[in-house]
Amino acid sequence: MKKKLPIHHGMARGIEKRLKNTGLFIKRIWSHKQGKIGLTMVGFLVVVAIFAPYIAPFNPYDVAERTTKGLPPSSKHLLGTTINTGQDIFSMLVYGTRVSLIVGVTSGICIAIVGSILGVAAGYIGGLVDSLVMRIVDIMLVIPTLPLVIVLTNVLGRDYWTIILIFVALGWTGLARTIRSLVLVLKNSNYVKAAELAGASRWHIMIRHILPGTSHLLIMSTALSSAGIMVAEAGLSFLGLGDPTAISWGKMLAEAQRGGALLFGAWWWILTPGIGIFLAVFSFMRLGIVMEEIMNPRMQRSSGVYKVFKNLNSAYVEEVFNSMDDYAKIGVTPAFEHGKGEVTHETGLKA
Amino acid sequence: MKNTYVIKRIFYSLFVFVVVITLNFFIPRIGVVDPAERYYPPQGNMSEIEYEIIKQVTRKQYGFDVSTWQQYLNYLQGLSKGDLGKSFRPGSPAVIDLIVERLPWTLVLSVSTLLIGLIIGVMFGVVAATKRGRWQDTLLLNASTIMVAIPGFFIALMLSFYLGFELEVFPAYTDSNMVANFDWSLAAIRTVAYNAALPVLSMAVGSIIGHAQGTRNAVIAVTNEDFILTAKAKGLKQNTIRYKHILRNSMLPIVTSLGMSISGLIGGQVVIEQVFNWNGMGTLFLEANNTNDYPLMMGIMLLLSGFTILAILITDLVYVLLDPRVTVGDKR
Repeated sequence: MKKKLPIHHGMARGIEKRLKNTGLFIKRIWSHKQGKIGLTMVGFLVVVAIFAPYIAPFNPYDVAERTTKGLPPSSKHLLGTTINTGQDIFSMLVYGTRVSLIVGVTSGICIAIVGSILGVAAGYIGGLVDSLVMRIVDIMLVIPTLPLVIVLTNVLGRDYWTIILIFVALGWTGLARTIRSLVLVLKNSNYVKAAELAGASRWHIMIRHILPGTSHLLIMSTALSSAGIMVAEAGLSFLGLGDPTAISWGKMLAEAQRGGALLFGAWWWILTPGIGIFLAVFSFMRLGIVMEEIMNPRMQRSSGVYKVFKNLNSAYVEEVFNSMDDYAKIGVTPAFEHGKGEVTHETGLKA
Repeated sequence: MKNTYVIKRIFYSLFVFVVVITLNFFIPRIGVVDPAERYYPPQGNMSEIEYEIIKQVTRKQYGFDVSTWQQYLNYLQGLSKGDLGKSFRPGSPAVIDLIVERLPWTLVLSVSTLLIGLIIGVMFGVVAATKRGRWQDTLLLNASTIMVAIPGFFIALMLSFYLGFELEVFPAYTDSNMVANFDWSLAAIRTVAYNAALPVLSMAVGSIIGHAQGTRNAVIAVTNEDFILTAKAKGLKQNTIRYKHILRNSMLPIVTSLGMSISGLIGGQVVIEQVFNWNGMGTLFLEANNTNDYPLMMGIMLLLSGFTILAILITDLVYVLLDPRVTVGDKR
């Protein structure tokens, strides 16, 4: 029975509406001081990635366009050339943007999709599905990620689509755990109860009522996990385990180290890819935090910045959840009403 | 109540460990059809029959000549005796020996990073929380927003560039004779410390900021609790409140983050060891990866996972001692 329900209230509706007005949303990010920085930087990187062939003076993939090796920066070669292959470093830098953005953003979006599906299913359906998903999460938590990624690339192959697949397969757990906790709260809210009483199907409730309630977490986590994946990809490429055919910032750093940039004092060769990674990660994180602040009005302005530390995905997201849980207890929003002690705390962070 | 919780936790950890062992066994077998073939690709002048014989011998030597299920049972049996299998290296040394040889060198780095990160980080965090909004706090905020966006290996590269090559304060690459010449003499220990300075420093930066940020948040959360207000209203001394009430209660999240940071520390060390050419488990792991030495790779993975499971278990148990409330609800 798929009947459109008239009762739609609280946050779910608000966020849905906001999502529809993407233009308005971007405007709001723009009016936020930090958001303006993040949006500008992300926009800049996207433009660089799309128009890379027009921006870069040389094509670093083209063997014919390689010149004298180890040139210092000049007007022809803005950042000089590499010592071992004679590629133009500035062009490599520009083309490297593509790899970082594609791997980061694609994995971020896929993680959000997988994480939300499994998190909502675990939280709302419960029972066997719940314990299965949570056991997988627990097991993934204890296996060290980078070594596991290395083993999987060894077994499955090293082209970028496989690497993205591996990142998604290992990256959804933190998000799923957080979404599940939030769903446990939403499940007991009045509007979901009303929908259940009205006879809406489980599927309908999950898609139309529960999922919109988690959308602010999803959007933020997409930006944050994209940032995290960019760091991870750079590390993998630095170890020489990324896609062997592509030019990425991590690989540039590895080549610089092995090619003797340190010995020859070619600081521009080492510094610039690092700055590239930093800018990409920083801007995506900034954007994620600002989006969270805008969509979750209960969070204090710029308090989100404090909450990001080290553990890019889970720690921050969990704190956001905790902040929602607190408000649920105080009963500020009608959308969050507790069942009788069914909600358990996700982290030990609240003493 | 407490005992049931503890026993449940221990059994759950064991269950997770068994699943990890099983995964460890089966992951290398996803893509590899025949380990013998993968490890010994046919040489140029080798005849078909010769190659077949070599493959047969290899299979026999590494126990691949029986069914996968039987291999799994053999693996489990070996594990119960502390045998992680044989490496594919020439002379097929036992994996466990290779690991034990490198383990101390990895632990030197991780333990010192952990200690430095924890001590300085907690101190910094407490200062930032007590001076909330002032320059100490702002410094921490700015440092952490910038530091989370910089990969650890880039910090390591920059340090080895400036402190190693430009200023020549510390060695940019680890002295390759360090491991071979080590003999517990004071000079040898000093050499290790000298060589370990940069790797530890580059990992400690992130660790300090992580722990500082965590401590700051925990201390502020406790400071806002009602019982602190009560303590103030009772007219207790500022220091009594700070050390006995606030710090003791903010220990809990610090313990949690400690347990979690151990797995991250070991994982992240793979890259740092590579930058400085440090002869630890990370380097061993990469060597194994480059030579498709699956038994060695899986042995290291198993050990690291085991460490993490143990760390999380201990954290949880310490938690029970520190905060009796956790046994009431399901924590995870």
